[in-house]
Amino acid sequence: MTAADVYAILPLIVLGGASVVVLLGIAVHRSHSLTLILTLTGLVAAFLLLPLVSIEAPRQVTPLLVIDSYSIFFSGLIIAASFIITVLSYSYLSQQRGHREEFYLFLLLATLGSVVLVASTHFASFFLGLEVLSVSLYTLIAYSRKEYGIEAGVKYLILAGLSSAFLLFGMALVYSELGTMKLAQIPTSLSNPSSGVSQVFVLGGLALIVVGIGFKLALVPFHLWTPDVYQGAPAPVTAFVATISKGAMFALLLRYFTVVNIHNYPSLYLAFVVIAIASMFIGNLLGLLQTKLKRLLAYSSISHLGYLLVAFLASGPLAAVAVAFYLVTYFVTTLGAFGLITIMSNSDRDAEDPEDYRGLFWRKPWIAGSFTAMLLSLAGVPLTAGFVGKFYLVTAGIGSALWLLVIVLVVTSGIGLYYYLRVVVAMFASLPKGSTIAPAMRISPHFTGALAVTILVLLLFWLGIYPTPILRLIESMVTGFS
Amino acid sequence: MVPLSYYLMLSAVMFFLGVLGVMLRRNAIIIFMSLELMFNAANLAFVAFALYYHSLSGQIFVFFVMTVAAAEVAVGLALIVAIFRTKHSINVDQLSSLKG
Amino acid sequence: MILPWIIIILVIGGTLAWIAGRFGPHWPRWISLATLGIHFGFLLYLWIQNYSIFTLTTRSPWFALFDIPWISQIGISFSLGMDGLSLLLILLINLLGIMAVACSWNAIKDRVGFFHFNLMWILASITGVFLALDLFLFYFFWELMLVPLYFLIGIWGYENRIYATIKFFIFTQVSGLFMLLGILGLYFVHGANTGVYTFSYFQLLGTKLPQPLGFLLMLGMFLAFAVKLPVVPFHTWLPDAHTEAPTAGSVDLAGLVLKVGAYGMIRFLIPLFPKDSLSFAPIAMALGIIGILYGAIVAFGQTDLKRLIAYTSISHMGFVILGIFAWNTIALQGAIIIMIAHGISTSGLFIMVGDLMSRLHTRDFRRMGGLWSTLPRMGGAAMVFTLASLGLPGLGNFVGEFLVLLGVYRVSIPAAALATLGFIVATIYSLWIIQGAFHGRNTEGWKLQDMSSREAAIMTTLIAVILWLGIYPQTVLNTSLPAVEAMQKYAIETQQTIVSPQISPAQPLPIEGSITINTGGKP
Repeated sequence: MTAADVYAILPLIVLGGASVVVLLGIAVHRSHSLTLILTLTGLVAAFLLLPLVSIEAPRQVTPLLVIDSYSIFFSGLIIAASFIITVLSYSYLSQQRGHREEFYLFLLLATLGSVVLVASTHFASFFLGLEVLSVSLYTLIAYSRKEYGIEAGVKYLILAGLSSAFLLFGMALVYSELGTMKLAQIPTSLSNPSSGVSQVFVLGGLALIVVGIGFKLALVPFHLWTPDVYQGAPAPVTAFVATISKGAMFALLLRYFTVVNIHNYPSLYLAFVVIAIASMFIGNLLGLLQTKLKRLLAYSSISHLGYLLVAFLASGPLAAVAVAFYLVTYFVTTLGAFGLITIMSNSDRDAEDPEDYRGLFWRKPWIAGSFTAMLLSLAGVPLTAGFVGKFYLVTAGIGSALWLLVIVLVVTSGIGLYYYLRVVVAMFASLPKGSTIAPAMRISPHFTGALAVTILVLLLFWLGIYPTPILRLIESMVTGFS
Repeated sequence: MVPLSYYLMLSAVMFFLGVLGVMLRRNAIIIFMSLELMFNAANLAFVAFALYYHSLSGQIFVFFVMTVAAAEVAVGLALIVAIFRTKHSINVDQLSSLKG
Repeated sequence: MILPWIIIILVIGGTLAWIAGRFGPHWPRWISLATLGIHFGFLLYLWIQNYSIFTLTTRSPWFALFDIPWISQIGISFSLGMDGLSLLLILLINLLGIMAVACSWNAIKDRVGFFHFNLMWILASITGVFLALDLFLFYFFWELMLVPLYFLIGIWGYENRIYATIKFFIFTQVSGLFMLLGILGLYFVHGANTGVYTFSYFQLLGTKLPQPLGFLLMLGMFLAFAVKLPVVPFHTWLPDAHTEAPTAGSVDLAGLVLKVGAYGMIRFLIPLFPKDSLSFAPIAMALGIIGILYGAIVAFGQTDLKRLIAYTSISHMGFVILGIFAWNTIALQGAIIIMIAHGISTSGLFIMVGDLMSRLHTRDFRRMGGLWSTLPRMGGAAMVFTLASLGLPGLGNFVGEFLVLLGVYRVSIPAAALATLGFIVATIYSLWIIQGAFHGRNTEGWKLQDMSSREAAIMTTLIAVILWLGIYPQTVLNTSLPAVEAMQKYAIETQQTIVSPQISPAQPLPIEGSITINTGGKP
């Protein structure tokens, strides 16, 4: 490992270092604002290092990690999202009692794990990144130590443990046949006819790995944990689970299955097609039955990951751009939605009942207006980021002639419209006369939370109206470099 | 010298025992132990094949897995203790307060 | 530069109206009127400036074009163009916009600012639909239109509004996505043929499509237009939406939203897929005839006055689709006249129903009767609009329907004969309205205030325009002729690439080659 290698992974070192600093900071002096400042400093430092590091890119640092523009782009996305979540958490935790500082420690560690995932080129870094992320999430989900939170934490723990075990066994199977855990060597070992590789074992191993990935992405049929965890976790943590954890995993999925060309394995490809269709249908259909807002967003995210798979299955240069851009829009929208839930929540509970939102527009027009924008973006309505994102997905799908998937996307997103609109309708409904306002409705948004949401709303419209600059960035970062 | 396939078979059997344990048992601690069994099934396969390929990476990977498993257990047990405090039970069937 | 301003002025006006709503309910109303006044000024300027070239068919049919790159990565540009067809329809937007503001002057009392915001944004996005010459931009405005319309009906509508809006939204959005599939299919076929990936209308004209892909893509686009128009099997959202909408919403829906479907067929569907759409023409025309008869017959059975008028819209739109798919100059000109005349006469009827409702507090047709004695002036106005609707010579609708029948007769005599039946049923339901509401016995003993001067001014304006259309349709026909001829030319010249005078060729897709994600392996 040379000095240049160390330089290349500086953002990761900074993130790791920041968590140590935060840990020591808590030990020395327990202060909520100080912890926040340390955390944000760490994230900003890591983010600012990314452009500097990109001069060195692409660079393979040990067999485990690669720092190329692809991983730098997604690292940037993850760190930026983590920044927003940190700010939201501050506004959320300010209302909570008990120790709040350790929350940021786990947030930093989970971010570190996600950044490792997007840079991973080896099963070891894959597994370690995943587990750093998961173990931090167990604590974050149960952080409130209220009954719901702990229950969600235990459920996530058991199911994530199960999926990690599947993943690990899948890796073992692939290793047993190919004798390597380096991503780059997998296709060469596979294509080497003299090695006597048993395709069945490799395929089985890959399938088990897909199970592990599918769990993190909450794709059908590995989605069972999603609604409960979304509902039970504190709103900022739900935002983390919905965006960073899924985004990092999807970036990894795209990298791994671009290298191990998925089109060479018809059965695996077919499995992905089935998973995509099932996710789109189940996500949108079960979403119709939900009354709690966070559960509704859980099913919404299941369907959105299904949409993403359409672009993933489409090959060609447009597909990677579509995936990256859709992830950006999905991040902005989902963070915005959960940010607004955070603002609306109080120390007793998160604002997730339909009653909390009834007639909101006439009392808090800015909050309700922003929330409407987020929901419309999830539904893919023009002027919002979601519109351009969905347009790109459909374009990528048609570009590869995936007519069936695209038509399923179209039909199911029509079904999904209904539940987004239902929330919008509730917000614009008039309050029945003489009704009292629910306790969660006495909103006094912390200015940090309001600021974060304002930024997200502006981003939402910017991406929806003039996405050219960000698309240019994505194209240069994600699709190619010399 | 035990043939290589035996290791793989044993590992597979352990893995499926683990899966069955997670599926069928309702006690959170037992479920946790079954998860550990699954992890270690994979470990066994890694070690066996590391020996076969004369590559160290499989063995080193096992150390990673063991570390991670320890961390999971630490957090997991803490959560199980916490759930026991609120519910006075560690039966996973009672984890049903989250509903739509 | 004038074209984007035609849209932007409405956007700004709507936003200002919303903000001004804080200071008092009258501010948004006046701001909206002023905005529409400026809007009208722009349109008049364009109209007068281009009046001299109407007769010179050799000149470009385009009055103004505007083109700047937007999402250049995949060949999307912000490309607008105005010809006679779009000018006429935008004039209709302006007129009906003013009417919508005027008719909700007293009817909308709460959240006035937000109401006018939505109203202006509907007008802006429909203007965008009529101006867009980039297929992505077209789709963008097409979808954008739904959101303010959704709020307009969902907030200020009647009892069943939530059901109606959600149904309307889902119908149009899903069909819109099918149109997107059509657009994208065309985009990729064109890109594969020529290597130029673009959404530009002029470049996509004349794309050679393999079969059966071309037909399916055409069908996807047709579906979106058919839902908006609406063509009969896809019409079920319309009566609900119309019935539950506030008067201004009904005016916008009937007058404008239905027209975008027809416009899309004339501008995009047939010129882009000439062979496929004309081979589909017999089916489309059959659907048109079914629509004419079905709408009229079902209208006859309604007891809710707004619902009744909604069904008559379906019937009239049947003529439009018939005229479009006959695809000759006379029929197309007729279809355009119907679009305008129907917009005006139906809006007049809806405004009248709105006025009646503010007095009677019911739309139930059975509770009316004998209103003529107490509302003579309103009865007179209603008479004019229903007569227009049944196609009385001298009023606008007659000219349109006559031209359509003339044009259809050349293509298919049976179709023309069947469509003529539409006149008979139209007569029945039109007279049924007058008979039931205004004549007969005043069983409920209504004693009502006749039209106020504001209401009278609205009615007078609309009647004047419809008379003008009926007596001297030449103004409209002259304006639309170059556009209609150009569309036909585009459709015929399938084998040649049509190069527009001012639009620069779009950039090819810059992202080429395969994904090169670094996979590691080598340090």
